[in-house]
Formats: sequence, structure tokens, C-alpha cells
Amino acid sequence: MSSTRRELVLAGACVLSALVFASASPAFGTLDNLAVIFRNSTELLLVGLGMTLLLATASIDVSVGVALGLIAIVVGQLLQAGFPTPIVALAGPIAGALVGLVVACVVVLGRIPPIVGTLGLFGVFRTGIFLALGGQWLSGLPSDLTELVDYPLLGLNLSVWVVFAAYACVWVMLRKTPFGTHLLAVGHSVEKARLSGIAVAKVRFVVFVISGVLCGIAATFFVATYRNVEMTSGSLLALEAIAAVVLGGTSLLGGRCSLLGTVLGVLLLRLLQNGLVLIGVSSLWQPVVVGGLLIVVLVGDAIGGRWLARRVASRAA
Amino acid sequence: MNALIGRARRNPVPFVLCGLWLALMVFVLSVRPGMVSESTLRSILQFATILSLVSLGQTLVILAGGAGIDLSVGGNVSLSAVVALLALQAGVPGPMLPLTCLLVGASLGAINGLLTNRLGIFPLVATLGTYYVYSGMALAVTGGGALSNVPDWALPWGRGSIEALPLPFITLSVPLFIVAFVLFGYTSWGRWIHAMGHNEQAARLVGIPVDRMRFTSYVLCGALAGMAAFVSLAWFGSGRPNIGVNLELESVTAVLLGGVAIFGGRGSVVGVIAAVLLIVSMKTVMLQFGINALWQVGVTGALLISVAVIDHRFGRGVR
Repeated sequence: MSSTRRELVLAGACVLSALVFASASPAFGTLDNLAVIFRNSTELLLVGLGMTLLLATASIDVSVGVALGLIAIVVGQLLQAGFPTPIVALAGPIAGALVGLVVACVVVLGRIPPIVGTLGLFGVFRTGIFLALGGQWLSGLPSDLTELVDYPLLGLNLSVWVVFAAYACVWVMLRKTPFGTHLLAVGHSVEKARLSGIAVAKVRFVVFVISGVLCGIAATFFVATYRNVEMTSGSLLALEAIAAVVLGGTSLLGGRCSLLGTVLGVLLLRLLQNGLVLIGVSSLWQPVVVGGLLIVVLVGDAIGGRWLARRVASRAA
Repeated sequence: MNALIGRARRNPVPFVLCGLWLALMVFVLSVRPGMVSESTLRSILQFATILSLVSLGQTLVILAGGAGIDLSVGGNVSLSAVVALLALQAGVPGPMLPLTCLLVGASLGAINGLLTNRLGIFPLVATLGTYYVYSGMALAVTGGGALSNVPDWALPWGRGSIEALPLPFITLSVPLFIVAFVLFGYTSWGRWIHAMGHNEQAARLVGIPVDRMRFTSYVLCGALAGMAAFVSLAWFGSGRPNIGVNLELESVTAVLLGGVAIFGGRGSVVGVIAAVLLIVSMKTVMLQFGINALWQVGVTGALLISVAVIDHRFGRGVR
């Protein structure tokens, strides 16, 4: 119930801010600009999808952003070395799976709280990026990967189809397979899930690996889009993903998630960032807007929830 | 001796940290003996002052439980410094600078307290939101540039030292850690904090004002960030809007490395100050060996993970 309400509010906010921006700046409402917004969203959509699953199991990963940077370096170096494009494209998800495996081993096998483990890995990955880049930028990469990712298929780019496919797969997994049920059960209550005979550690392990694969695909898109990787690539992405997923109505306490909410949360963030620049607001204000939006939604949710509860109570009386 | 062994078994973290620190010192002494000098010690403690103040606040918030965490501390330090200097430009008298920093920091902390306690928003997301707002505002208000109207009287304090001990460290960090140590260990207030972190339900049932104390912990955390802002102003002589960058991660790392349980209820300020000194010493030693500071980020991360695993495996009987 409340999750549908949240999605409607978000969709409304998207439409409203789009209308405001379109009336303020003629450059905003064009088809080209909408394509730009979507294109800027693809990485966050994929990372956000992984984060949605993590939060649904009451886990979290603050290292996904730097993990993306690390995988992007692998992809970029393969690209620079002249490997065939399909191999380079596959290297992203494979490297992502390996990174996810590392995170899963640390957090699940090491039995430490996800926020602690991934905070530690955040530091380790940053040093990894520094070592791999040696203080230099990886830039001027060949455009082969870009051509593949932008390959038009039935009127849309290949990257768009990949994002669709990822969301469809996760949706089917959540709604139609026992694993999806187990996943939500673990997020709801680890104790109850364990008592029901669910292999809790296995479920949490697999979710970290899935998140890693999605992050790997995102890294491939990142390389294809920007064609350079630097020290700070992706470092803000984890916090943005958490913000977008929470905006979308997924609870940090686990057991509940909304894929549509995540999509809308990501689109709203990127739409605001794009629109504010176009109407001439300094990009320095962007984090203020992101944070302010997050707080407004959460406060509205808290106050609205109380108001609803009071109304229900007074009706019952 | 037996008491010491018992303590080590119950809470092994401070001992592990001290061991690591000694190992680091022995290593430095054997490789480059000239490095262990007064000036090295002074710069370690100078750098440690800001991190120790922020980490103390973070300790308070995490110890109080209820999944408490403050991701906005870094933004708070930056914004407090910037707002206090802007207030000075607007006519607030110069000697009021420390108080202004303190008040701004405490108010920003109070906003976190309101969001998490009054409105019941999960601390991780609420302070993630304020992190964006505070750090973004500091940059946006100044346009990214530094403010330079720090009053002259502050600099001798911020840069001065007695022998190898920097003044900000002995006049702020040391007294505050002693106060916190006494508060946590020997007063009912400290017992309450531990109790509510350990078992919230039980704490409420025996009448501990859990919500009010958690709110207070966020305000105090903010006030400590404000003090850290003042230390940075007095030290650098200017207000940089990015002074607090990464402090949230560093402080959370120091607190967890210091053996405070992430879900609250267990931990000591002794472990936290040990962790702060270890992190800063590593940073300084690496800088002097000409190793890039980014190495230290990775080593700290790996250390955090290993300490967490060791704590889980061998910290039996911990509560």
C-alpha cells in the first residue's frame, strides 16, 4: 500500500520538476536532453538495482562506487590493450562477480556487519585504484566499446535493453522463484528465516555476488560512455545509490523493496541534476538538492505515516 | 596481572592496537631512527586533534545504540567553520569565534537528533541526507574558495606547542577524553548509554530516558565537530569549505577500529583514542617515507576488517 503511494509521489515529483524545468529552459524539454538524462542514469540504475537487493536483505555496501572504479580500470586496460570488444564487454561482469565474491567473503564468511566490512573494503579498493592507475588517468580509450553499447536495437540503444533485462531478471527472481522469497525472508528476520530452514549465509552471499555483477556491467557502461577512468571515478556512486533506493521506498531494515521505486528514485535524482544545470544553478548546489530531497521525502514519510496512523486509530474508536 | 589478562580477553582491541603501534615504532626505529623525534610526535598529535574530537562524538552516537551513526560529521566540520567565519564578517566580535563554532556545530547536530529521534528516521539515511546538505552548503556558500578572516589571536593557540605537545591537543582533546572516560566509566549517565545500546527494551523498562539521551548524543557529537572546526581554523588560519572531507569515514573507522560495537552498547574511549593515534601515526610515517597517503586508506581499511574479524572470533564474553 504505502509502497504504491511512494511510487506515485515519486512519479508525480518527476513530472512536476520536468514541467518546471521545461518552462524555465527551452533546452530541457527536448528529446535529445531526455536521452542524455537516461544515458547518465544507466550506471546508477544498475548499481541501484544491486543496492535494492542488498537493502532488502538488511545488508548494505558502501564500497560499490569505488568497486565500479576498480572494475572500470580493468575494462579500460583490456580495451587499451586491443582485446576484441566482446571479450572486453564480458570482462566487466566477470570482474564484477569476482569483486562481489571478495565482498561476500569478507562480510558473510568473516561474519562482520556489512557496514563495517564494506567501509574497510572502501579503503582497500581506493588504494587498489591508486596502485592500478599509478597516479595517472586512463584516458583517450578507443571507441569500440562505445559503439557496441550504443548499438541501436529496435529503436533503443543496447545499454537500455541491458538495463531492462537486468530489472526483468531481478523482478522474476524476486516474485517467481523460491530464492526471491528466501531473500525477502532473510531481510525480514534472519532468526525466523534460519528457523524455517533457509540457508541464510548462502542467500546473503549470492546477493553480494549479484550486486557485484550488476556493478561490473555498470563499469562497462561507464568506460563506454566517458572513455576515461580517473582516481575518483565512481567514488560518490554508492551514496547516490543508497539515496535513490531509499527515495524509492526500499527499507533499510530489510524485507521490503520496490524495483519501480528505485527506477523512479534514480530518474528523479538525475533529472534534477540535469535540470538545475540547464536553468543555470551552479553545480555546487547539486549535493544540497540531493540531500534536501532525501530529507524532505523521509520527513514527509514520517509525518504522513503518523497522520495516517492517527486517522485509522480515530476511525476505529 | 590477572586483571589485565581478564580485561584483554574481554576486550582485546585496545591491546591489539597498542601492539600494532609499538610494532610500527620499532619498525621505524630500526629502519630510520632519526625519524622518532619531537617534531614527528608534534605533527602526529597535531593531525590527531581534529580526528580525535570528531571520533569522540561519533563514539557517543554509536554507543547510544538504536543503529545510531553520524555520517554528517565531516560536512558539519566544514559548514561550522564556514558559517562561523561568515558570522564574524557579519559583525560578531572576534573573541566569540570558538563559541560560534560550537553553537553552529551543536545546532547542526540537533537537526540530526530531531530527524532520527523525533521523526524516527533511520540514522544512516537521515545523516546521509544531512551529509549532502552540510558539505554541499559549505561549498556552495563560499563558491569553493577559502575564507581568510580568522582573528589573529587564534593562531598562536592553534599552532603553538609545549615541548612536543601541540596546544589544541593538550587543551581540548586530552581534557575531553578524560571527561568522557570518567563519564562513561564512573557515572550513571555513562552506564545508561551503555545499557540502552546493549538492550533498548530493558533500558526503557527501567526508566532510562532513551530518546532524550540519544538526542543529546547527536547534539554533543555536533558540538564536538564544531570544536574540531575551530581547531582547523586556528591551525590553518583560514576556513576551507572542504576541510571535513572524508572525516565521516575516518571517524567511523577509528571508532570501530577502537573496538566500539557498531550496534552500540560496548566500547571504550581508550580504544578509540588508541585507534586515532594508530591511524594518524601510520599516515605520518608513510608521508615521511615518501609513500602516497592513499596507501594509508587501504591499510586502515584492511586493519578495520581484520580487527572486526579478530573481535568476532576471539572476543568471547564480550557484551
